[in-house]
Amino acid sequence: MVDLSFGDTLFGFWNWVDAIIRILIIVIAMTVMVIYLTYGERKVVARFQQRLGPTRTGPAGLLQGIADAVKLVGKEDIRPHNADRWVFEFAPFATFIPVLMTLVILPFAKDWGVRNMTLGLFYVFAILGLNIVGIMMAGLGSGNKFALLGGIRAAAQMISYEIPLVLSLLSVAMITGTLNLNIIAEQQDRYPYIILQPLAFLIFFTAMLSELHRAPFDIPVAESEIVGGYFVEYSGIRWSMFQLSEYAAMWAFTVFGSIVFFGGWQFPKGGDWGWGWQLALTMGKSLTFIIAIMWVRTTVPRLRIDQLMSFCWKILLPLSLVQIIANAFIIVYGGEYWLLSLTSGIGAIALVAIIINRAFRRSTKTTGLVGAYRSLQVPAP
Amino acid sequence: MTKADAVYPYPIGKAAPNKHLAELLEPLVSELGGTLSETTTDVNADIPLEKLGQFVEALNQRSALQFDMLRNISGVDLEAEGLALKYHFYSFKHGHALQVTVATAYEGAHVQTLTGLYPAADWHEREAAEMFGFTFDGHPNPKNLLLEEDLHIHPLLKAHPLQKVEIKQGIEAGPPGVILS
Amino acid sequence: MTVWPEQRSLVADVEFDTVDMTINIGPQHPATHGVFRMVLTIDGELVVDCEPYIGYLHRGLEKLSENADYRQAMGWWDRTDYLAGMACEFTYCQAVEKLAGIDVPERAEYIRVMMTELSRINSHFLFLGAFGADVGSFGTSFIYAWRERERIYDLFEEVAGDRMFPTYFRIGGVTMDLPENFESRVRWLLGSIEQGLEDLDGLLTGNEIFVERCRGLNPMTTERAIALGITGPCLRATGLPWDLRKAEPYGIYDRMKFDIPTGREGDVFDRYFVRLSEMYQSVKIVEQCLSEMPKSGLILNPNLPKTLRIESGETYVRHEGTKGEYGIYAMARGGVKPYRMKLRSPSFCNLSALRELVVGNYVADAIIILGSLDIVLGEVDK
Repeated sequence: MVDLSFGDTLFGFWNWVDAIIRILIIVIAMTVMVIYLTYGERKVVARFQQRLGPTRTGPAGLLQGIADAVKLVGKEDIRPHNADRWVFEFAPFATFIPVLMTLVILPFAKDWGVRNMTLGLFYVFAILGLNIVGIMMAGLGSGNKFALLGGIRAAAQMISYEIPLVLSLLSVAMITGTLNLNIIAEQQDRYPYIILQPLAFLIFFTAMLSELHRAPFDIPVAESEIVGGYFVEYSGIRWSMFQLSEYAAMWAFTVFGSIVFFGGWQFPKGGDWGWGWQLALTMGKSLTFIIAIMWVRTTVPRLRIDQLMSFCWKILLPLSLVQIIANAFIIVYGGEYWLLSLTSGIGAIALVAIIINRAFRRSTKTTGLVGAYRSLQVPAP
Repeated sequence: MTKADAVYPYPIGKAAPNKHLAELLEPLVSELGGTLSETTTDVNADIPLEKLGQFVEALNQRSALQFDMLRNISGVDLEAEGLALKYHFYSFKHGHALQVTVATAYEGAHVQTLTGLYPAADWHEREAAEMFGFTFDGHPNPKNLLLEEDLHIHPLLKAHPLQKVEIKQGIEAGPPGVILS
Repeated sequence: MTVWPEQRSLVADVEFDTVDMTINIGPQHPATHGVFRMVLTIDGELVVDCEPYIGYLHRGLEKLSENADYRQAMGWWDRTDYLAGMACEFTYCQAVEKLAGIDVPERAEYIRVMMTELSRINSHFLFLGAFGADVGSFGTSFIYAWRERERIYDLFEEVAGDRMFPTYFRIGGVTMDLPENFESRVRWLLGSIEQGLEDLDGLLTGNEIFVERCRGLNPMTTERAIALGITGPCLRATGLPWDLRKAEPYGIYDRMKFDIPTGREGDVFDRYFVRLSEMYQSVKIVEQCLSEMPKSGLILNPNLPKTLRIESGETYVRHEGTKGEYGIYAMARGGVKPYRMKLRSPSFCNLSALRELVVGNYVADAIIILGSLDIVLGEVDK
């Protein structure tokens, strides 16, 4: 009577009931995930900084996230006098909704997600761009100049980095021949697509850091400059909506990245050990991603806005275009998979070489800079 | 001679040759009607108020002197003898340190600004002006620096009480920033 | 002006009429390191004007000193450069000693120099940590620096009984003798400091983004720095090896063998690097003090009067403080109280150049430039 399979049909009463149940599961999972991501981030960052992190609330501080959530809900919801009321109050939700909409199409295990979309990849491109609307609303509606600066910085940065992000995913889509994420994951039973497209993965990872406002691209929220940027005027539940959408976006992005580049729920060498293992694989891959993001955050300082922009437009964008053209030639003229791997590998080496070259261009001026403080002079320029 | 000495011909690392400074300054100071004396650390030149600009210009420009840094400006309330301004100069070229004293009237003292020759004088002069009530003629930004902008009291004058004004602002009538004497 | 349809292509050439925005950084702002306010006028991301406002921490230090006797006033001078309280005490004590003509026993001189240098290391560690945070490294540099600072503070607590404001020095010496096993503790501490320096060096100098942000930013010539009254590491970053510990030696600094680190360009990176190198030289000075110090002896001049009265005199004592030339103009006219005490604080003078340094840079760089001046608001506001 009731077909609870992973369908993509829109009509019928039971289909809607099914979808609502699935969305509820996703929302609950996301909330728990976000609470423990904040806890996890505090712990991981603390270990990188020779601290302990939260230890007091519950065993090893495990209940810290819940305590924080309760505290945030109980806080006063303050609206500045000169804020634009509706824009200000709706902005956190406008930021959060696209993230939730992204989670809807991700297959967490084989044939399990809220909806299985034929145009899944395309849907992600379309929805992720909407995130910026909420951030701009917060920036413009707060009636605060720091928020305005943050909102404008965020707009410039996110729109710029959207292009290499989408192009890098497009080059993968050229190989898969489908935009359905479930099928993309299924195709990677022999090798994950990172082997075929390492350059696309590097570009994706960089652009993802930028889209998530993570260091070294945390310019829109720069704490030491514009004290939080677009959400500087928010408090209580609305502020926690921004936090929620930030961490949920991190989760969604990493799950998405692990599906496209690492095969998501697919075992590295094929095989099917049931949905529990598949879920564990998806989560394991995405958590590895997340820890990498946190590692980067604790280590590197922030870029300046012009350096950020030139990196996007002068390096990432041309390389992703070159990759698409190379993929097109290889696929149209019937090349082998190893050829894709080779060209993209060369591209990835080129990207790393460009970055190192920029570093090296600097370090010719500053050879042996580390440890030079023991000698008298600053090394010659 | 280190490498740095070759780039900047300043006598780094040698004791300050203050002995010759008094001899060097003697003709200039007596020409301007001042006197020379010694403090515990520096040579002191008392200069009449109206000759200050001329004197400082000579200090800055003459190659034998070349005082290129203004270290400090300090106002002093000498009570019966009026106010005084102490300028401390330093010459990187020769390693000389000099204190210039200018005596002024107790009230309504107008002093020529040094901000043209020494940009460093800007904040020092603003501070002396608000603390002692000097007026620096030609100062580009003569606002209060450390005190509130509309507070026209001169706390470092000896006549100024330690606590009274602050208490008055809180308890008695009148908005803060208006002096009640 | 009416724009006709055939002229529309020309409209693109017309510049947009933009308005400069004023943003208020401070008094509560993480980048101002205290209660300091600067009003930036910005055109997009570029700073076109900057107006600093100080005085939020003004405590009337000079007025208070005129109303306390020489011994009592010292506690307030701790609170000027509160990151290096001992260095301020040194200058204050020496100003009074110069006025009164008091000698200091040799052992006390060594202790003073040692404590001053440890304070300098302490203050520079805070700079390194806070500067890393200004550039944006999410507190990692801060925590690294804090580890060493805690150890130095622990030592201060053991020596003087207090961490931040020890009031350890006395006119004519120091309060109490060093604790037992002091030497081994300090030697261990110096090793720890060097390790911490290496960690921070690797974290910041070894980071490409950090170097790219700082190098070539806001270069300054020596002549301009002198004219603006900039002293200390910021002046040495321009290439001038001028350090009052060498140029006008005081205390027992003439016996110490150390180098003056200098930069070349005077840019933000050089200011950072000069401080980093300077800490290593401070470690060297402390090591020399430890080995050359008389193992026992007086720590306080025994011929001090019960109440210090100074008939007359004036002096301008200047020391190489942690931020630059820390000078005290002192004047005595009889009685038990100083007649006038004026602080020439290095942060105050360095900060007065802020407008010229910041205008024309990005907002993000303005924050870094302010951080590179390494101001302490207790010293700026007196």
